Amino acid sequence: MKLTTVKAGLAALVLSTAPAFAEYPQRDIDLVVGFAAGGGTDVMARTVETYLEKHLGNGANIVVKNVPGASGQIGITEVAAAAPDGYTIGTYNLPGMMARTLDREPEYSADSFTFLANVVDDPNVIVTSKASGLESLDALIEKAKSETGAVTVSMSSLGGDDHLFLMKLGEKIGAEFTIVPFKGSAPARTALIGGHVDMAIVNVSEVANFADELNIIAVASEEESEYAPGTPTLKSLGVDIVNGARRGFVAPAGLPEEVETKLLEAFRQLENDEEFQAAMKETANPVDLTVGKDFRTLNDQQLELAKEVWEVSPWK
Amino acid sequence: MYGSLIDALPEVLGLSNFLAVIVGVLAGIVVGALPGLSATMAISVLIPFTFAFEPLVALGLMAGIYNGAMYGGAIPAVLLRIPGTPAAVCTSFDGYPMAQKGEGGYALQIAVVSSAIGGIASALALMLLAPPLARVTLLFGPSEVFWVAVFGLSSIVFLLGGNPIKGLIAAAFGVFVSLVGSDTITGYDRFTFGRLEILDGINIVVLLVGLYALPPVIDLLEHPESPDASNTRKLATTSIWSRLPDMMGFWTTWLRGSIIGILVGILPGAGGSMAAFLSYNEARRASKNPENWGKGEPEGVAASETANNADTASALIPALTLGIPGTAVAAVMLGGLLIHGLQPGPMLFRDNPGIVFGFMWQFLFGAILLIFLGGSLATNSFAKVLLLPRPLLAAFIIVLMLIGTYAIHGRMFDVYLMLGFGVIGYGMDKLDYPLPPVVLGVILGGFAEENLRLALRIGRGDWSVLWANTTSQILIAVTIAIVVGPLVTRFLRKRKSARHA
Repeated sequence: MKLTTVKAGLAALVLSTAPAFAEYPQRDIDLVVGFAAGGGTDVMARTVETYLEKHLGNGANIVVKNVPGASGQIGITEVAAAAPDGYTIGTYNLPGMMARTLDREPEYSADSFTFLANVVDDPNVIVTSKASGLESLDALIEKAKSETGAVTVSMSSLGGDDHLFLMKLGEKIGAEFTIVPFKGSAPARTALIGGHVDMAIVNVSEVANFADELNIIAVASEEESEYAPGTPTLKSLGVDIVNGARRGFVAPAGLPEEVETKLLEAFRQLENDEEFQAAMKETANPVDLTVGKDFRTLNDQQLELAKEVWEVSPWK
Repeated sequence: MYGSLIDALPEVLGLSNFLAVIVGVLAGIVVGALPGLSATMAISVLIPFTFAFEPLVALGLMAGIYNGAMYGGAIPAVLLRIPGTPAAVCTSFDGYPMAQKGEGGYALQIAVVSSAIGGIASALALMLLAPPLARVTLLFGPSEVFWVAVFGLSSIVFLLGGNPIKGLIAAAFGVFVSLVGSDTITGYDRFTFGRLEILDGINIVVLLVGLYALPPVIDLLEHPESPDASNTRKLATTSIWSRLPDMMGFWTTWLRGSIIGILVGILPGAGGSMAAFLSYNEARRASKNPENWGKGEPEGVAASETANNADTASALIPALTLGIPGTAVAAVMLGGLLIHGLQPGPMLFRDNPGIVFGFMWQFLFGAILLIFLGGSLATNSFAKVLLLPRPLLAAFIIVLMLIGTYAIHGRMFDVYLMLGFGVIGYGMDKLDYPLPPVVLGVILGGFAEENLRLALRIGRGDWSVLWANTTSQILIAVTIAIVVGPLVTRFLRKRKSARHA
């Protein structure tokens, strides 16, 4: 505590007395988005961009650069390899980016990054089709346990948050599901509405408008979500799982300390920025800020979870 | 259900959105008028440039180009007997003889009015059929979608043309391309050679630009001299409105052509050239004086041009409702929708009614605008496009192709890939391999594989899930009919002629 105060004081002293150390940022900051323009991560990045510029001050200008491909792997690899000067940051998805270190051989690891902030936490929800007649968690568990693979579950892909969540769920309730991985959550949801599968794992922001067409069984968050009011949390139903899709920002490892401090500070200020919170709500992005070291801890927990699942049932 | 249709109208009539349709139609006519350059090529080259536009501006451009190009193809077909697009082949049968008789202007006027009527009918079909069909699509799960894809693939038999072996090789090549990338179910890499750039599969626009745009451009350079365009100087300058009464007798042909075009459009697989061909044949069969056909019968131009425009909007019905594009153009347009965050399927009409219905209006306006923008005076000037220096044109298109392909993901890898496909396309062109089966193979092959595997997962390995419900059974029956039907008719005809002999 004392040490950080001294450090901060020193930093302030250095900044105020030495004009040779020009204040960050001096030029445009590249924000590498690993997905195509218009997708969920892109919209999140572009919303955050505006407010991050505001809190960085100093006329900061952030330029979004879409580097899509290989579910974000191309973009994040570019960030990992960039110069750690604070002029390249990138979007970071959990558990995806860590799961890729298991099922592929990427040129990055958790140590390649300076963890800035996780901004979005979109908890998993269990939804069932009207046709399935499964209207409660108990009914669902009963059917799932009746026979191996008795319940068909659609989801967006293998190795994503929905998959890891489902494996965890199966382990906790002692059942095995039949996984039907679609290409993305929209078709997975449509298949559920059409009654072609019994159940789906999606994220809470994706079911907000579909309360009439689906049964929303439970949400895997600590508290009730404003995107699915009235839906019980899994915890409250006695199944202790909290999981979701997380989207945040990282920079290459080894950022200069004053740059890192400044970026973390800017992210911290998003917490109380009401305009920002409103803009995120507008774009269906549930905000849950986790900054700096806490974000790294979160990352390691997610890697641990992915490893557990990978060891028991590798999806590839 | 149709209330949102009206609500979408004001937005479409906004200046930039409407201007986009006008620019699209004009550009489409020019592109269509240039032999070899097709609507598919124009839209795929253009689409990367529209990423930054508002959705309706981008979509309006595409709708305009599609309509314009389908008519533009008639200009060289009539004046030079060179169809500007594959769909205009039948237009040249009677259009060129008319031009030789000095009636080229009239032929083009018939073409523009017929195109507009076909386009209007198609747009109305899209508006009226897509929303209710979108609700029905909830019935389509993986096994049903699998059968739709198989049905589309089986319609390749119509596209095989003279040489079935070459057609099947082309289709097989297409299916192979659809395999590249990570396996959709298990995530294993297939044919990627460790390249992350193709882990998500080969982008359809990259493929189409290479395959469809590069060969004709090389062709422009191979034959730098402009074709004999003497017919362009003999165009009549009578106002299109004064000729309209003469055309009223074509109404049965227009009606028949529209219906054929719309139906062909809805079937995944078939395209404008098949619509025009069927319509031309049917119109000739119904004609009182079939002996005049092929010698400058105005009704022949009307039959062909109505049908090749009538499949434009209706081809989007399976694309918007099921997410299965039946033609290359529909595939590219679907890509355009996805880029703007619009997911095809039943939710599309609920989540983005303004844009979807606006897009439909743009198709309607694009068709109506044809009459105004493609009228006689304008047609005269479009005909001059044929006199442009060809090397200049080719150079211009190549630059657009390179920039456009680079712009998709901002990487050179795609440009090299596009050029690679261009070389393949050029080779296929020279060796007379048809291109449409390749595209169908890529699009539908991927769909068929993915949905088959999803269906089997849902059925937990039990294959009977594929024919367990009525929708699937109907689709299977239709597919069998489409494959076996032509064989049976050929057999019966043979037996009949044998008996006569």
